[in-house]
Amino acid sequence: MSQIPQLDRVKYAFIFPAFLLVLTITLFPLIYALVVSFQTIRIVPPVPAKFVGFDNYVEILGSARFWGSIQVTAMIVLISVAIQYVLGFALALALHHNVPGASLYRVSFLLPMFLAPVSVALIARMLFHPVLGPVNEFFTMFGLENLPFLTSPNFAIATLITVEIWQWTPFVVLLMLAGLQGLPTEVFEAARVDSISAWRRFRDLTFPMLLPLSVAVVFIRLIEGFKIIDTVFVLTGGGPGTSTETLTLFAYNEGFKKFNIGMTSALSFLFLIVVILFGTIYLAVAQRMIRRYQ
Amino acid sequence: MDRVMFRRLGLGLALVWLVFCLFPLWWVLVTAFKPPAAVSGGATYIPFVDFKPTLQAFKDAFSGVRGDFAGPIFASITISVISTGLAVFLGAMAAYALVRFEFRIRLLAGLAFGVLSIGGFAVLNQGIGLSVPQSLGLVLVIALPTAIWLNGCNLPGPVLGNDDVTFWFISQRMFPPIVSAFALFLLYAEMNKAGVRLLDSFPGLVAAYTAFGLPFAVWLMRDFFANVPVEVEEAAMVDNIGRMRIFFQIVLPMSKPGLIATSMIVLAFIWNEFLFALLLTSSKWQTLPILMAGQNSSRGDEWWAISVAALISIIPMIAVAIFLGRMMRSGFLAGSIK
Repeated sequence: MSQIPQLDRVKYAFIFPAFLLVLTITLFPLIYALVVSFQTIRIVPPVPAKFVGFDNYVEILGSARFWGSIQVTAMIVLISVAIQYVLGFALALALHHNVPGASLYRVSFLLPMFLAPVSVALIARMLFHPVLGPVNEFFTMFGLENLPFLTSPNFAIATLITVEIWQWTPFVVLLMLAGLQGLPTEVFEAARVDSISAWRRFRDLTFPMLLPLSVAVVFIRLIEGFKIIDTVFVLTGGGPGTSTETLTLFAYNEGFKKFNIGMTSALSFLFLIVVILFGTIYLAVAQRMIRRYQ
Repeated sequence: MDRVMFRRLGLGLALVWLVFCLFPLWWVLVTAFKPPAAVSGGATYIPFVDFKPTLQAFKDAFSGVRGDFAGPIFASITISVISTGLAVFLGAMAAYALVRFEFRIRLLAGLAFGVLSIGGFAVLNQGIGLSVPQSLGLVLVIALPTAIWLNGCNLPGPVLGNDDVTFWFISQRMFPPIVSAFALFLLYAEMNKAGVRLLDSFPGLVAAYTAFGLPFAVWLMRDFFANVPVEVEEAAMVDNIGRMRIFFQIVLPMSKPGLIATSMIVLAFIWNEFLFALLLTSSKWQTLPILMAGQNSSRGDEWWAISVAALISIIPMIAVAIFLGRMMRSGFLAGSIK
C-alpha cells in the first residue's frame, strides 16, 4: 500500500463524514449525560440543576432494585446464550452435513432474527396466554393446566429465556455454519480415512478449530443480550413487581416514569461499567481457554 | 454405524427446530384471520377446519377504526429507508478508506481530545453558563482541530492503526444503547428548548438511526472492499483518475452485491429498532415498533388486531430474510466472520 503523499490527503475526505456523525450523535451527547449524572435534575416537577457529586451513583449502588435488575439480566442472558450456543452449533453441524431438506431449513432458520423483538413478544404473549394460548393447551395434555407463564416470577423468566432462544439461535447457526464451511476439508478427509469416530473428529478437530469463532459469537450474543428491553417491555413490563426488570428497562423506568434524569444518566454509566467489566472478564477467560487448546 | 446415528440425530433436531421455529409464525398468520369466537374459545389452528376465516381485522386496521396505522407505517418506511441509505453510503466511504489507506492516530492526541471535550464542556456550560448545544458545538470546534494538530506533532506513546479505527467504529455498537439513547434524548430536549426541533422529528430520527447503522455498514463493507481486486484501481490511478472518481465509478459498482446485502442487514436493524424510537418520539414520528408495543395494553384480548399489526411489521423482514438466505447459500457471509 504505497501511496503518493499528496494523494493520501483524500483519505480524510472518505472517513470524515462517518467520523463526524458518530462523534456528534453518539459520543458528544455522552459528555452532557456525564455532567448530568453528577446533578439532581427533575423535569416533572421541574427542579433546577444542583451539583451533588457522586450521590446519584451511591444511591443506585445501594438500591436493591439495581442489583435485582443486574441479576435478572444476567440470568436471562447467561442461560439463553448457553442454550443458543449449544443448539445453534448442533443445528449448524446438521445443516453442514446436509441433512435431507437442508435448503428448506436454511431460510426458515434465519427468519426469527430478522423480526422485530416487539412483534415477537406480542406473538409470544398470545402463545403463552395462560387460558387461551396453545402452549397452555400443550401443557394441559400433561395435566398441567393454566400455568402462570407471565405472572409468576420464575415462569416469566423462563418464558423470556424461551423467546430469546427462539429469536437468537439463528444468529449462532448463521455464523457457525459460515465457520464450518470455511474449515479446510483435507484434514477431515484424512481423519475419515484413519477411521476416527465422528464424535472424536468433532472433539479433536472441529471444536478446537472453531473455538475462536465460538468465543466471538458468544461474546456478541452476550453483549447484545445485555441490552434486552423490548421483549421484556411488551411481554411482562418488568413484572410481576420488578421481578423481570432488566437493566435497560430499569433505566428507562427511572427516567421516564420518575423523570429523574440525573439518576438515569448515572445508571446508564454504571450499566456501561457493568458491560465493560463483564466483557473484559469474559475475554480474559476465553483467551486462556483458547491458549490451552492450542 | 455412528455416522448413520448422527445423521438421524441431526435430522431429528432439524425437524424439531423447524416446527419450533415456524409455529409462532403460523400462529400469527392464522390468528389475523380469526373471528372473535375463534380466539375466546381456546386455541384454534387450522382455518376452515377450526374456524371460518374473516378479513375483518385487516379491514379495521386499514380503515383506521383501530387507531392510526398509516402514520407509523409511513414514518417507519421513510425513516428506515433514508437512514439505511445514508448509513451504508457513509459507512462504505469510511470502510473504503480503512481498507485502502493507512491511518496513524496517536493515542495521546485521542486522549487529549477526550479531556479537552469533557473539560471544555464542563467549563463552558457550568462555569460560563452557555447553553448545552452552544457549549458542545464550541467544544467540538476547538477540540477537533487541536487534536488533529497534535496528531501531526511528534508525540511519544503508542500509535493506533487502521484496525483500531475500525474497532472504534464497531465499539459504538458494543456499549448499551440506553447510554447513548438517553444522552441523545437529553441533547435533543435541549435543542428543542433552543428552538431546533429534533425530538419527535424526521431529521432527528434519521440522524440517530444513521449513526446507529453506521458501525454495521463499516464492518460489513470493509470485507467486501478487501475482496475487490486492487489492480483495477491501480490501473485507473496510473491514468491519473482521482480517488473519488475511482471510488464512485469503479469500486462502488463492483461491490454492488455487498452494498445490497449490507443495506438489507442495516435496514432490518433500523426497521426493528425499539429503544431509540421509544425515547426520541412522542406522537408524530412514532415508528411501527412503538405502535406495536402500545397494542399490547390498548387491545387486550383482541388477538386478531394484534396479529394484523404484527404481520405488517414482520412481512417486509421475511422478504429480507429470504433474500439473504439465498445470498448466504452462495457463501457471501463467510468473509465477514474473520
